[in-house]
Amino acid sequence: MNSYKFDWNVIDKYLPELLRGLFITLEVSAVGMVLALVIGLLLATGRLSSHRFTRAVSNGVVQLFRSIPLFVMLFWVYYGLSLKFHLMFTSFQAGAIALGITGGAYMAEVYRGGLTAVDAGQREAAIAMGMTRADAFLFVVLPQALRIVIPPTVNVYVGLLKGATIVSVIGVSDMIYVAQYVSLQTFTPFELYSVAGLIFVCLTLSISGFAWMLERRLGKGRTYG
Amino acid sequence: MDSSQPFFDFSAVWASMPILLKGFGLALFCASVAIILAVILGLAVALLRLSPIRALRWFAFVYTQLFRGIPLYVLVIWVYFGLAIAAGVNLPAIPAGIITLALLNSGYLSETFRSGILAIDRGQIEAGIALGLSRGEVMRHIVLPQALRIIIPPLGNQYVDAIKDSAILSIIGVPELMRESEQLANLYYRPFEFYTFAGALYLIAVLGVSKGMNTLEKKLSAHSAHTRAI
Amino acid sequence: MTFESGHEESSKPTFLELRGVSKSFGEHKVLDQINLTVAEGEVLVVIGPSGSGKSTLLRCINFIAAPDEGEVIFEGHSWKVFKSKFNFVANRKYEKKLTILRSEIGMVFQNFNVFPHMTAAQNVVLGLTKVRKLGKAEARLAAVAALSQVGLSDKVDQYPEKLSGGQKQRVAIARALALKPKVMLFDEATSSLDPELVNGILEEMRRLAKAGMTMVVVTHEMNFAFQVASRIVFMDQGRIVEIGTPDEIKRTTEPRTRSFLSAILN
Repeated sequence: MNSYKFDWNVIDKYLPELLRGLFITLEVSAVGMVLALVIGLLLATGRLSSHRFTRAVSNGVVQLFRSIPLFVMLFWVYYGLSLKFHLMFTSFQAGAIALGITGGAYMAEVYRGGLTAVDAGQREAAIAMGMTRADAFLFVVLPQALRIVIPPTVNVYVGLLKGATIVSVIGVSDMIYVAQYVSLQTFTPFELYSVAGLIFVCLTLSISGFAWMLERRLGKGRTYG
Repeated sequence: MDSSQPFFDFSAVWASMPILLKGFGLALFCASVAIILAVILGLAVALLRLSPIRALRWFAFVYTQLFRGIPLYVLVIWVYFGLAIAAGVNLPAIPAGIITLALLNSGYLSETFRSGILAIDRGQIEAGIALGLSRGEVMRHIVLPQALRIIIPPLGNQYVDAIKDSAILSIIGVPELMRESEQLANLYYRPFEFYTFAGALYLIAVLGVSKGMNTLEKKLSAHSAHTRAI
Repeated sequence: MTFESGHEESSKPTFLELRGVSKSFGEHKVLDQINLTVAEGEVLVVIGPSGSGKSTLLRCINFIAAPDEGEVIFEGHSWKVFKSKFNFVANRKYEKKLTILRSEIGMVFQNFNVFPHMTAAQNVVLGLTKVRKLGKAEARLAAVAALSQVGLSDKVDQYPEKLSGGQKQRVAIARALALKPKVMLFDEATSSLDPELVNGILEEMRRLAKAGMTMVVVTHEMNFAFQVASRIVFMDQGRIVEIGTPDEIKRTTEPRTRSFLSAILN
């Protein structure tokens, strides 16, 4: 193996552009996350419905969205849907939608976990006092469920962030896209992708670390009787 | 709107079945080999995490954090293009893809193994030793069976993830399901149909693996004669 | 089961009565045609083996578990089970009416069910503001008073995780009492407590009984039962086997009661 000279100049020159691309990645994943929160909520309420049909459909949809690779979903939305139904999504939109759909399925699981983790006795005690179901949910169950739900939600976001890198394939000029075309010009893929990878690792680690700290802080909401 | 052709036309899909199924098979193959490698790697790293030597522990920690924080897409390109140029090694696409999948999943799996091993109650080991069993026998008859039961579900999840992740290998030219679907979709100008079908195949694979893992778990529980207190 | 009035005016003014109450969970009939009257100021203690339906009986009184058949008559109003298959609005309205019933009946649970995300005071304030519609300041004053009553004046702003089991149960009792209920239900209130804390809670319950609160208590604490009860109810397999004063029960010739008592009291 011959010695390889790491070209630091390339990094020096193109780092700003890489970071600009990172910003786009953050944007796409943020929009996708918002969608995921909403879609996940819809699916979660569907799964808890008293109608068997709604439950079955919701469960099926969640299973479906969790089984399809993000990559396939992306192409299905961007090429498949737009060609078939003449919905002209921009690549950014398609990316956000694909992320939202996939993330939504995971969020549905997270919501469900949060609600079931709150001890049933909590709601009972509130109802026994004469509180309405709405009040019991809003003031007793929901606050506790939120505390449980926040760390896994952040995990889903980190997943979306990592998944968002794929959107460069359909033309979104995110960090990977920048790395791609620069490395085509300068023949330095090793440097550029190493840096891109490192930036990502730092980003995801800090977000995860933040979630971990959050979980410890919120620990006082531990649920028991 | 094109009215001469039917709205949903899967005829091209049915006609291309052989190619698509071949790609599907390749995807499953890559995922399977990758998972096996990941299990070996992950186990090794997990043991390193539990090592008494600090340097090894630290290395293992960095390893897991690295491969859990890096997007697969970046890793794939880095391994195939970047590493190849830097190390002067010319890796063909399929091995490169498998290695990438293996590396990525090994990060997650090492965590799974570590918590699985730690989850075994110390008291069990002590009881086994007090009975006069050797460390090896304790491992084999007491620790491992219980650890396996804890590990199977997350392992199943990783396998499912590996199958889904195999789609990314199309970027480096591996002729798996996604790539074939892509090329055929462009050829016949039927992206919706082809990607829908691809999605269905992945769904089947995921359901199959989940079902398989469930039965495996049940079988393992049946074999152990002792009852668990739930 | 008409909707019009989920509750009707009853002819006989009993304080609290269960008439023909039955409840099943799936195939299993947990309560079978229960008839029970509770007089005002009475302390009714329900004893019996596990699975006899004691807890379910309690939960039917305030409709936390809705009876499948029968009615609960409280303060002249009769409450029956109501569930319209399609009229969601009617169901909602009935639920709202039930909150009135429940606000007059306080319940203390075996596993406390204290709200962990709120301080002791906030636990009490929640009911006062949401159910009794008190203002925040008023509620806070009442909450502090209620907590002092159960000996927790120094723990008013503590979170439950810092409190012992006995203290948590006291919060639960204060929380229920603050709403000034007419009846207090105790569902094995001491069963989850460490032995040294049990007496503290039993003391609270004794105080309440002495003060004239109408109580229905499910418990395994036999000494307490025989000391404090006005009447004891022995239940077995979803039915009331016998009801009597503590003396009557002690001298009973009913075989099932005898065998239960001898098993417990030995």
